[in-house]
Amino acid sequence: MADEVLRMQNITKIYPNGFVANKDITFGVGVNEIHALVGENGAGKTTLMKILFGMEPAQEGKIFINGKEEKITNPLDAIAKGVGMVHQHFMLVPSLTVAENVTLGVEPMKNGLFDFEGAVKATQEIADKYNFKVDARSKVRDLSVGQMQKVEILKALIKGAKILILDEPTAVLTPQETEELFEQLFTLRDSGVSIIFISHKLEEVMRICSKVTVLRHGQCMGTHDTEGLNEAAISKLMVGRDVVLKIEKEDPKPGKPVVSIKNLVKINAHGKHVIDGVSFDIHAGEVIGIAGVEGNGQTELSEVLAGLSDFASGEVKLNDTSIAGKSVREIRDLGMAYIAEDRMVEGVAGDMSIKMNIMADRFEKKEYKNALFMNEKKINEAVNQYIKEFEISCDGPDQPVRMLSGGNIQKVVVAREFTSGANFILACQPTRGIDVGTAEMIRKTIVRKAREEGTATLLISADLNEVLECSDRLLVMHKGKVVAAFPKANEVSEETLGEYMLGVKEMTQEEMEALL
Amino acid sequence: MNKTQKIESVMEVVRILVGLLIAYGVALLTLLLISDEPGFIIQQFIIGPFSSARRIGSIVNLAIPFTICGLSMCFMYAVNKFNLIGEGIFMFSACMVTLVSVNMANMNLPSVVMVPLMYIVAILTGVVFAFIPAIMDRKFNANVVVVSLMLNSVIAYLATWVMRYLMLDSTIAYLGSKEIPESVQLPSILGSFRIQSGLIVAIICVVLVSLLFYKTTFGWKMRIVGANPRFATAVGMSALGVSFAAQLAGGAFAGIAGATEMMCNYTRFQWTVTTQHGFDGLLVAVLAKKNPVLVPIGALFLAYIRIGADVVNTSGDIPTEFVTVIQGIIILLVAAESFLSGTKNKLIFKAAEKEEKEKQAKAAA
Amino acid sequence: MSIDWVAFIAEGIKMATPLVFAALAALITRQAGMFNMGIEGMILCSALGAVVFAHYGNSVWIGLLGAIVIGLVTGMIIAFSSLTGKTDLYLTCIAFNLMATGGTVFVMYLLTGEKSTTSGAFRAYAVPTIDIPLIKDIPVLGRIISGQSLLTYLAVLSVFLVWFLLKKTRIGLRIRAVGENPKAAESVGISVPKIGYISFAFCGVFAGLSGAFLSMSWVQFFMKNMANGRGYIGLSAQNMANGEPVGSALAALLFGFTDSLSITLKNQTKFPTEFLNMIPYLATIFAIIITSMIAINKKRKIEKGMAKGKEKA
Repeated sequence: MADEVLRMQNITKIYPNGFVANKDITFGVGVNEIHALVGENGAGKTTLMKILFGMEPAQEGKIFINGKEEKITNPLDAIAKGVGMVHQHFMLVPSLTVAENVTLGVEPMKNGLFDFEGAVKATQEIADKYNFKVDARSKVRDLSVGQMQKVEILKALIKGAKILILDEPTAVLTPQETEELFEQLFTLRDSGVSIIFISHKLEEVMRICSKVTVLRHGQCMGTHDTEGLNEAAISKLMVGRDVVLKIEKEDPKPGKPVVSIKNLVKINAHGKHVIDGVSFDIHAGEVIGIAGVEGNGQTELSEVLAGLSDFASGEVKLNDTSIAGKSVREIRDLGMAYIAEDRMVEGVAGDMSIKMNIMADRFEKKEYKNALFMNEKKINEAVNQYIKEFEISCDGPDQPVRMLSGGNIQKVVVAREFTSGANFILACQPTRGIDVGTAEMIRKTIVRKAREEGTATLLISADLNEVLECSDRLLVMHKGKVVAAFPKANEVSEETLGEYMLGVKEMTQEEMEALL
Repeated sequence: MNKTQKIESVMEVVRILVGLLIAYGVALLTLLLISDEPGFIIQQFIIGPFSSARRIGSIVNLAIPFTICGLSMCFMYAVNKFNLIGEGIFMFSACMVTLVSVNMANMNLPSVVMVPLMYIVAILTGVVFAFIPAIMDRKFNANVVVVSLMLNSVIAYLATWVMRYLMLDSTIAYLGSKEIPESVQLPSILGSFRIQSGLIVAIICVVLVSLLFYKTTFGWKMRIVGANPRFATAVGMSALGVSFAAQLAGGAFAGIAGATEMMCNYTRFQWTVTTQHGFDGLLVAVLAKKNPVLVPIGALFLAYIRIGADVVNTSGDIPTEFVTVIQGIIILLVAAESFLSGTKNKLIFKAAEKEEKEKQAKAAA
Repeated sequence: MSIDWVAFIAEGIKMATPLVFAALAALITRQAGMFNMGIEGMILCSALGAVVFAHYGNSVWIGLLGAIVIGLVTGMIIAFSSLTGKTDLYLTCIAFNLMATGGTVFVMYLLTGEKSTTSGAFRAYAVPTIDIPLIKDIPVLGRIISGQSLLTYLAVLSVFLVWFLLKKTRIGLRIRAVGENPKAAESVGISVPKIGYISFAFCGVFAGLSGAFLSMSWVQFFMKNMANGRGYIGLSAQNMANGEPVGSALAALLFGFTDSLSITLKNQTKFPTEFLNMIPYLATIFAIIITSMIAINKKRKIEKGMAKGKEKA
């Protein structure tokens, strides 16, 4: 293929823990092409792109740029060969200005010193060329998320990128910002930049990409023209079977309120009201979903409810007891279980055994103790039971958790949290980045526990499908406030939800009360 | 995955051994370069420590404080706090034991009362001094390394002051305290080896700490907090509280170490600077990978090199200080993550590849 | 009891010199995101390096150069172990300081046969003191500002050089970027370890000057463990000022005065010297407590919503 700007051939990548992230992947990108790279979480998209950008070495495989084989061993190589990457998590230095961030690595110099004015000029020039509106002199920490992303793209362009990798660029954007981004991507494409667009939003892929390469479990499922393809067909390639999006569930029979939150306010270290007067109840037997673009107070709300951080004012009651000033232990004893947003940070201790991780919240209980020492026999019995019940595939209870796959690590987390006997489950991003099977098990368990055991659940998730299908009532958070409430989550359309999530619309207090 | 686990643990042992070998090699090379009669000196360094029952006994005796200090540092290291206050506590505990026993000398209490009492004094000293950096760490998030090091300097002066103003023996020609009563001078055991009875204390400590680490809830808590404090907090532990308590426990063992050394090895308190035992403890804890069961092995190894250095010092006029350099190299090599990590990753990759191929072969068949 | 206050202040400035250099050394590695406790050992090695080079090179300037070279070499050792060997930086520094304590005595013994000081075996070399014309004749001020060691004036100059380096040069920009978000720097092809090495090199120069002051200005010989915690004090000084050069230097000056206080009281009163010797260390501990308390209170106040004048939402 003569007009191919990039070809990655037979790429294999095995991580030190033995996880095969990419297996014999081959794909090519043409000139003036927006090429989608799709796949489920953990399918190996990001790894593949990190190899292309020189951030991870591949064990096998070749990379051709403009038909020439290239060895890319570090990002500098990649940049020199015209590859630019916009990471999922922004790679910016907040206390520096836009111009400094954009020119970092290729700083203009004058008399041997850094030329700030030159940097501003260069940034402004490239921004004007591609019609990006940013102020080169403002500090990055004062920018909106959408603007930060523009800075990221400018960073790649100023280094002469001809192949631009965008890793889930729309995940954090509002629809308006997404529109703007697409316009800019078209401009870039027409001026000769090839774009690799990583996403799992298939309608976006269908809209802006001409070709799509599908990865599944680290293997390539082929490259296809998007023309003549539909979303269902792509998703079939991605998952290997039709995605089951519906969870069968009866209507809830809400009991007494288990959690009641009144006028909760939290102010962060920068003085910002990250939770700004939030009030709602969670009743026994129901699942409340919280939707919202990430960074609108959901994380902070979960931290407050889990007892991990203080709040400024308001009241939170769990089973009729206020949690203000209580330790995590006390709140857990009141009946809270917590599936943390980032499992490697708060969900497990990676170097510790499966046994210690599962028992971490309960090994101090009397039943696991023998006078001075712990009752190993009881503990082993319990752990083996959990491993069996949650089908954790491992070598045994003493294996360090970090050696498991993401899905199995999450099973360790839920094996602990679902069995702690709590009547309130705080589930944050419970299925992020794990395999479909485990995700389905977790979702079904959440709903089943609500219906059969009367558990009250707060489900905070960025996965709209998940909040819509699992929740009974649905709340939307925007800028630290609850801006919309829906009595039946599965009847809400994604479009309506989007408008509230992005702050286009907002319900009044009365409207919300009337609806619930 | 089972293979990965095996490779990791085998490589860990290999890493430590290779690290020790390299450091040992550096030691031999140094001797080769600076000595007039390298052959003899190197031979002395390697086998000198085993040349007499007395010297073998010295290795064991030297390993006693190293073991207890190593246990002390295991507590600090387990919760990832490099609280180095053990260095100061070791000295001050010996000072306090001397002060209390000297003042109680005329009460003529028997050993069975005095020795346990001395250990209580030592433990209290340890806990009180470990409390300072630990509480500052807990309440103010103050850097525990810098605070403990500063405090060690303060402690050294304080101990000197105590000796000079509260228990000085003006009848002797050198600077030293009054003699401690015989009731707190612990005897030697095992005849010609002249091994100190501190050995018994060290063994008891190893057993106690190992049980504490692996069989009690506190041990579990410490290890979880050390591995991931945020996780520990999220599942309801008080990460700050646990690491605080671990530091106090570490202080207590440093106190026991200082008291044992004082009562087994000296009749007067005469230190004016700290003794490096705290840092030796850190080396031992690093070598043992914070596992108290392995601490005695690390301590014996360190004692062996030290005695070797002493031997070459007396027989060849080589200053013993070169051992601290060797000690530093050992810590660096053993703690270095990337040391031999390439080999490890290659092995894991090969194992994974093999597994994959086997799977494919099975699938084909 | 009468205390000569002018001498006290002059002494304070003198004693602050090695601390200012130490603080600057610590500050540059901190800006690159590393808490470098190894400065203590680096200063110690440089102090020995200074007298050794001066003795064999027969010149104080060669001694000064030697101190800087040793500072650089030791900095590279720490950088190698922590950046390339990926050893925990705390552990690296503790191990390195241990090696420095024993290693300097070992080298001193090999060269001189002495184990505590080089004063008998090596000739004394001193960095010249400088009398500033005009100012030296002003009564009180003259005694304080004039007549200090050349290195003291260099320390003042260095504070501004470091400020300039961090704010106005490319390498300064990169050091700050690496310190604040190493991933961001890496993503644009800046080698994080390389910047780490460079910041350790700058750190080495200042640690070298600090060591040179100790063995060629404060006294004119090397003695066992003569850094005596000054590296840690410098580290705490820059910590108090959040890594800002001028603030760090002022904090170091403050610690210099505690040193001077201890010396002045020792000379002029009958207080037990043990307690006077503790002053600089206790001052450091208190300074750490106070700065940490201020930082924590500020955070708490804001989080409780008591800070005023901040925007809502």
